[in-house]
Amino acid sequence: MNGQRLKRKLPQVVINLVVLIAVLLWFLPTLGLLITSFRPASDVAYTGWWTVLTSPLKFTQYTIENYQAVLSTGGMLTAFRNSFLITIGGTVIPVFLASLAAFGLSKLHFGARGFFYGLIVLMLVVPSQMTFIPVLKLYNMLSLSGTFVGLWLVHTGYGLPFSIFMLHTFFQSLPDELFEAAHIDGASVWTTFVRLAIPLSVPALASLVIFQFLAVWNDLLVALIYLGGHQSVAPLTMRLSSLVGSFGQDWHLLTAAAFISMVVPLIVFFSLQKYFVRGLMGGAVKG
Amino acid sequence: MKRSLFVVFSVLLVLALSLGASAQGVVTMMGVWGGQELEAFQEVMEAFTAKTGITVQFEGTRDLPTLLQTRIAAGNPPDVAAIPGPGAMKEYVEQGALVDLNGVLDVDTLTNDVNDAWIELGTYKDGLYALMFSADIKSLVWYRPDEFAAKGYAIPTTWDEMEALMEQMVANGDTPWAIGLESGAASGWPATDWIEDIMLRTAGPDVYDQWVNHEIPWTDPRVQEAFEIFGKITTNSDYVYGGPITVLATNFGDSVAELFTDPPRAMMHRQASFITSFIRDANPDVEIGKDVSFFGFPMINPEHGNPMLGAGSMIAQFNDNPEAAAFMNFLAGPEAQEIWVNRLGKLGTNNKINPEVYPDDLTREMAELLNQADVFRFDGSDSMPAAVGSGAFWEGTLMYVGGEDLAGVLEFIENVAVDSY
Repeated sequence: MNGQRLKRKLPQVVINLVVLIAVLLWFLPTLGLLITSFRPASDVAYTGWWTVLTSPLKFTQYTIENYQAVLSTGGMLTAFRNSFLITIGGTVIPVFLASLAAFGLSKLHFGARGFFYGLIVLMLVVPSQMTFIPVLKLYNMLSLSGTFVGLWLVHTGYGLPFSIFMLHTFFQSLPDELFEAAHIDGASVWTTFVRLAIPLSVPALASLVIFQFLAVWNDLLVALIYLGGHQSVAPLTMRLSSLVGSFGQDWHLLTAAAFISMVVPLIVFFSLQKYFVRGLMGGAVKG
Repeated sequence: MKRSLFVVFSVLLVLALSLGASAQGVVTMMGVWGGQELEAFQEVMEAFTAKTGITVQFEGTRDLPTLLQTRIAAGNPPDVAAIPGPGAMKEYVEQGALVDLNGVLDVDTLTNDVNDAWIELGTYKDGLYALMFSADIKSLVWYRPDEFAAKGYAIPTTWDEMEALMEQMVANGDTPWAIGLESGAASGWPATDWIEDIMLRTAGPDVYDQWVNHEIPWTDPRVQEAFEIFGKITTNSDYVYGGPITVLATNFGDSVAELFTDPPRAMMHRQASFITSFIRDANPDVEIGKDVSFFGFPMINPEHGNPMLGAGSMIAQFNDNPEAAAFMNFLAGPEAQEIWVNRLGKLGTNNKINPEVYPDDLTREMAELLNQADVFRFDGSDSMPAAVGSGAFWEGTLMYVGGEDLAGVLEFIENVAVDSY
């Protein structure tokens, strides 16, 4: 009997161990970054961050200079505001459009929907780099380059295929009978979408919002291409990358900068995380 | 819930549209500068705005070549950009992207105030396409005068003396060199500077030009010799601190720190003038000029004298409009350059610059060294096509230091070069 319990318990232990190791492996670089961000530049140049671990309580070896230097650079507030503007628009628009499209593709019956869905999913394999020059040309024609509206549209375009794919999978798992019943009760398509599909898919929407928010918040390349880097419109990622000189001088400031820019995504993640876990399951398992 | 979302959204839209509107009297500029460099250039831009009322919108990015190329292809390049070097300039001219500065700048004043070498660097196909805004010199060996004095080391002026000095250091239990080649995606560039410096001195400026223009192949024995002289140092852990593994794994900016440990882990470091900012960052107590100084990279073949390798900020104009022209004229003059060299310790190209503006004696000395050099050559890897100069050449040096066969490495670079010129 003891042996049986052990047999049942053993895989659990192994799984826990593997998870623990994976967590440590992923966490280690971040920990190193965190410690480095609190060390003076002169220490960073000579010794690795792990040397701190031999006497972690010696507080004289830590400094908040890096954080002070980053936060006191001009234009930080503007950069935060720009990042928020870009990210909110770049998240709300694609999630809203994707929910409409995914609902239509999974719950409305029309002829070529399999074809359209396939076409959209196919877009996932197009590398965004391929689109830069043609889209930028178009933007110059419409004078959209250098505007937030233009950037929202771009992020919407790049985000839609995955968003539709994810929400479609989720809507598919909702039983058709529910929608048929609503239909028989006289609900229009719009009503079933707003009153039935949306409330039921909050977990999926929440996780999609997290994905899209993180992607847009951390984006540097797309913003550089379509927005240009001058300070009145530059998001946080761009402002932070310009802390470093052309030969990589002052890179120690980037460690502090990385943590400052992580604060917002962390807040978003933790406030939505209870939906996040459910949401990932939501698309995969029929309930 | 939905109504409030709608309100937030409309506010965002209005705000975004109002921000997107562009103003009159604006020059857009793109450059790689960040940190202190950006602050210094901001002062330059402010001086320009105070003088003309035109504002400059500066976009800084370290991915400049990619971004600039995308913008050119899409038809909205910045008015003015600090470009990577003569190689890039030629590519842009071929694409028809640059404005000929002969119609923009006052050429008579320019030829009076600026050395011919700088004008030549910006000249291509009978047009002047780039302005040398400032220069960095690279043929410098950094050392600690106190250590040299204490141990009786003499500053070498020829390569024979350098090799004797290296032997003396090894016999003394010191390590001669500190070298670091890691630099993110640009890893390997410090090695290309070494090889260029050696090449200039063993084969001379003419062969150097042929090499940069790919008129001689990479497998040429003279190129091979330059690699070997460099390899003799980097592959031997007697000559370089930590041996090849440390050389490959150490960041170029951190490697100079080995000179300031107690006792020093290495005696000499070959790097451009900008290394002083790294020294100051890591060792706030070190007084530049007193605790650390430099001597010129020694000559190897007396026939070719003591050439100077350098690089600089080249500025080119992409859009032909009066605001951009005014800005280019301002950058060419002494006033803008005085601000720039004073803040950053770079070397100006305009002879009218007051030497007093250089931040310290060491920089003044460098400016003098630059004026005295028999020959000046721009960083070769910056003058080659990008696939070679900021690709295969970097990679090749890393392969070579990593222990790969030199003939194979040179053949690899040659193959890339054949496709790119």
